[in-house]
Amino acid sequence: MIAVELRKLFRRPRTWATIGVLNALPIVVAVLLAVTDLAPRPGQGPAFLSAVLTNGALFPLAALGIVLPLFLPIAVAVVAGDSVAGEAQAGTLRYLLARPAGRTRLLVGKLVAVLVFVLVTVLIVAAVGFLLGTTLFQAQPLAGTSVSGTTLTAGQLAGRTALAIGYVVVSMCGVAAFALFFSTLTDSPLGATLGALAVLIASSLLLTLDAAAPIAPYLPTRYWLAFVDLFRDPILWRDVSRGLGLQGVYVGVLLAASWANFATKDVKS
Amino acid sequence: MWPGGDPDGFRTVVRMAQGSGAARRWALVTGLVAVLVALPVVIGAWPAPDADRSAAELRAAALSSTDVDFSGYAESAGGLALPATDQLGSVADLFSSRTRMRVWWRGPADNRVDVLTPAGETDVHQDTDGRWTWDFEADRAVRDVSAGGLALPAAGDLLPTTLARRLLSEARPAELSRAGADRVAGRDALALRVVPADAAASVARVDVWVDAGSGLPLQVQVWGKGAGRPAVDTRFLDVALGDPGAAVTAFAPPADARVRAGSGDDVLDEAGRRLSSVSFPGTLAGLPRRTVAGAPPAVGLYGRGVTLLAVVPLPYGVAVDLSRAAAADPDAVRDQLGVRLTAGPLGILLAGDSGVPAYLLTGTVTTDALAQAARALPGLAAA
Amino acid sequence: MTAATGATVIATRGLTKTYGRVHAVDGIDLDVRPGDVYGFLGANGSGKTTTVRMLLGLVLPTRGEVHVLGQRMPRAGRRVLPRVGALIEGPAFYGHLSGRENLSLLDASGPGGVRRTRRSRVDTVLEQVGLAGVGRRPVRAYSLGMRQRLGLAGALLRRPELLVLDEPTNGLDPQGIAEMRALLLDLHRDGTTVFLSSHLLAEVEQMATRVGVLDRGRLVLQEQLSVLTAPTGATVVTTPQPERVTATLDGRVRAVDGQRVVVRGDDPAEVNARLVAAGVPVTGLALERPTLEEVVLAAAGTSTDRVEAP
Repeated sequence: MIAVELRKLFRRPRTWATIGVLNALPIVVAVLLAVTDLAPRPGQGPAFLSAVLTNGALFPLAALGIVLPLFLPIAVAVVAGDSVAGEAQAGTLRYLLARPAGRTRLLVGKLVAVLVFVLVTVLIVAAVGFLLGTTLFQAQPLAGTSVSGTTLTAGQLAGRTALAIGYVVVSMCGVAAFALFFSTLTDSPLGATLGALAVLIASSLLLTLDAAAPIAPYLPTRYWLAFVDLFRDPILWRDVSRGLGLQGVYVGVLLAASWANFATKDVKS
Repeated sequence: MWPGGDPDGFRTVVRMAQGSGAARRWALVTGLVAVLVALPVVIGAWPAPDADRSAAELRAAALSSTDVDFSGYAESAGGLALPATDQLGSVADLFSSRTRMRVWWRGPADNRVDVLTPAGETDVHQDTDGRWTWDFEADRAVRDVSAGGLALPAAGDLLPTTLARRLLSEARPAELSRAGADRVAGRDALALRVVPADAAASVARVDVWVDAGSGLPLQVQVWGKGAGRPAVDTRFLDVALGDPGAAVTAFAPPADARVRAGSGDDVLDEAGRRLSSVSFPGTLAGLPRRTVAGAPPAVGLYGRGVTLLAVVPLPYGVAVDLSRAAAADPDAVRDQLGVRLTAGPLGILLAGDSGVPAYLLTGTVTTDALAQAARALPGLAAA
Repeated sequence: MTAATGATVIATRGLTKTYGRVHAVDGIDLDVRPGDVYGFLGANGSGKTTTVRMLLGLVLPTRGEVHVLGQRMPRAGRRVLPRVGALIEGPAFYGHLSGRENLSLLDASGPGGVRRTRRSRVDTVLEQVGLAGVGRRPVRAYSLGMRQRLGLAGALLRRPELLVLDEPTNGLDPQGIAEMRALLLDLHRDGTTVFLSSHLLAEVEQMATRVGVLDRGRLVLQEQLSVLTAPTGATVVTTPQPERVTATLDGRVRAVDGQRVVVRGDDPAEVNARLVAAGVPVTGLALERPTLEEVVLAAAGTSTDRVEAP
């Protein structure tokens, strides 16, 4: 089932167009930065961007920081929102279920396919970022400086970058689960995508309100930027582990809700 | 809410569970969500055991806990909206927003405090000879070898341990009382309350939660008179006792960083140079004058404990800057004494007539006390 | 279940689906036997599609039971459905992929599609439906008829024991319809049971061995086609002089319609002998059989598309 879903997703031109668009923004930022040599002032702009001018090897992280707040979640919401509702709209859902593909298996297959999409996308963003960083900027690929000012070996830097990539992928699980859940509620892929984005925007907005502080630890976007903590020395695991746990809870609950809704839903499309 | 003990809700769920498949599955999911939501509430409401320790014992334990090695993560939330000026912007931030801190403590002369920002951090590594300040986003390491003494508030001063010791150090036994027990950073903490006795005090009370085992202050809340929420609330969220290791607190600047020697506290030094000497009265608003090592002699400091008043004669340029900042504040009150601002328990008075103030009076005192103090200052007594 | 369901391919008991207060399907008892070509007739909106979806486990019944190939649906869907081929309300495919790729994906999506034989099975069914030479063109570029053929190919992929076809000739040209009919009759001869849901009487009449008629959610008729169209016991005489037939066969004439005269009596030879003896010219002579259309119209009411004034 998972292999079938992956084949469907990655044989689709739209998937690659999405990944292409996702890479466009970091490329534009890198070119502008290299041409103008103007780093954002400390404390402003995406994480790690100001450090890129001195060490281009950090650009993969800056690229992740650029796409993480908006572009990446939108791409995930589009792909995940399309997963079930898109099949319903195209009419292929009834053939899949009459095949029979098994409704629960289909849901899990869809979720895993979306997560693989996120992984592939993030890896491509990081790889493109690395190419840009090492060609456009001075790179010190043999070592780096942690956020805390200690020196990281190339191996440590690579290891932590891998952890950060993994963390960003997990951070997107919540979005994917929301979009998948909405995708089982409606036959309109656009509706499911917009629903998931509405949740994200609401979450981001609530995080800026002091009055929402009591519920802040439970908001799906609360720990997204914690991947920066992986580059502190010693690593600050607090928010990272909470972020992982929170995404796990969201995936668990929403997958259960999707299953509750979809397992006996009348498929009339 | 189910499963909070509502029998009707529970019966509904049972009935649904006996019904169709979809209803049964939804009941399962609802139950799962309810358990997940209830879990943190239950853990938060779990009572902490109290211990029979007197307020004086707790205060002594907190003050002598400077040698306890620990590492931890703390957050402080300031409720003070201070007017932002060019020189004091970082101080204003400190008291008005949420600050995240990490600390590794091996003693007063060997520790490290990191102030975390979303995309970087500012770290202060203290050693026996001085301190390193590392700013990631500026890629800058600064070495200070000042002997301590008076300095502008820095983030490290908001650590529960540091702040509690400062606030408790001058409290009189009569001002102390016990205030139950609670759980802070997963540890049993005994609460200690300071209610300042001075009539001029604008702080209603200070609550300090002290770790029952080690004596480490784990949380501090400062409440202004009549305030609905604390003016300052700083607490540990994680604490681990034990030596964090010398490697963590030590610092060597990275090869490509800008390194420079610190020049002490610019603002205070400049104040010391530029301020005209004034002969301050021995008491102001009922608060006795005090001396603090390192403070410029031109600044008058009064009070004790959590009731403090500072009087600064202003040079012309600073006065213009401050009065402009104050005028921009919609809450500023102007009367014949000058411009008055309050931020929680902190009162600020720019005293003097004709637009350019002559003195800055600030401290944790009531506005009446500020006015009373201003009238007693040389050159203003007429007003 | 009882032994009776073992002998049937599709058996429903009191099958009901309500949406709110509307009874889309109302207590129907379908009975499809092995080797049937079952013509499931009904006007648009009579509940045919809902019934087909309930048979395949896509829509869950409000009440009643469904047994397909002797097992309870939708519970046994994982065991039953791989043995069923279906074409539901028109074909649906991933437009950016080729027909071959679509079939291969569909086959891989569920149990019973053996990977080793997938290629050859896909080739076989494409040949069967006349799409062998379609190549790598994406389905997006297919005509409606080609998509219909591809949909049928998908249904045939695993040599099903039961074919459930909902309006299978939609979009086909007359030649395509004839080919489709020949293919279905071939499959039927090889032992496949066919459940053919359609609103086209002629299509059903030409293929079905058994007929069920759905009217506003109720099964108003279910019988062997041969029984429904059995001789009525009357003889139809065609003659240029119908009034002389009435005169000759006094009292036996049931109806006169132009040159057609319906005469009671199931022995055309006897009728012919009497008319010829009386010198009445007879140009045609046959046993009277009802058409399927007449049977259906008699059983079902008005079209459900009509909305009468209250």
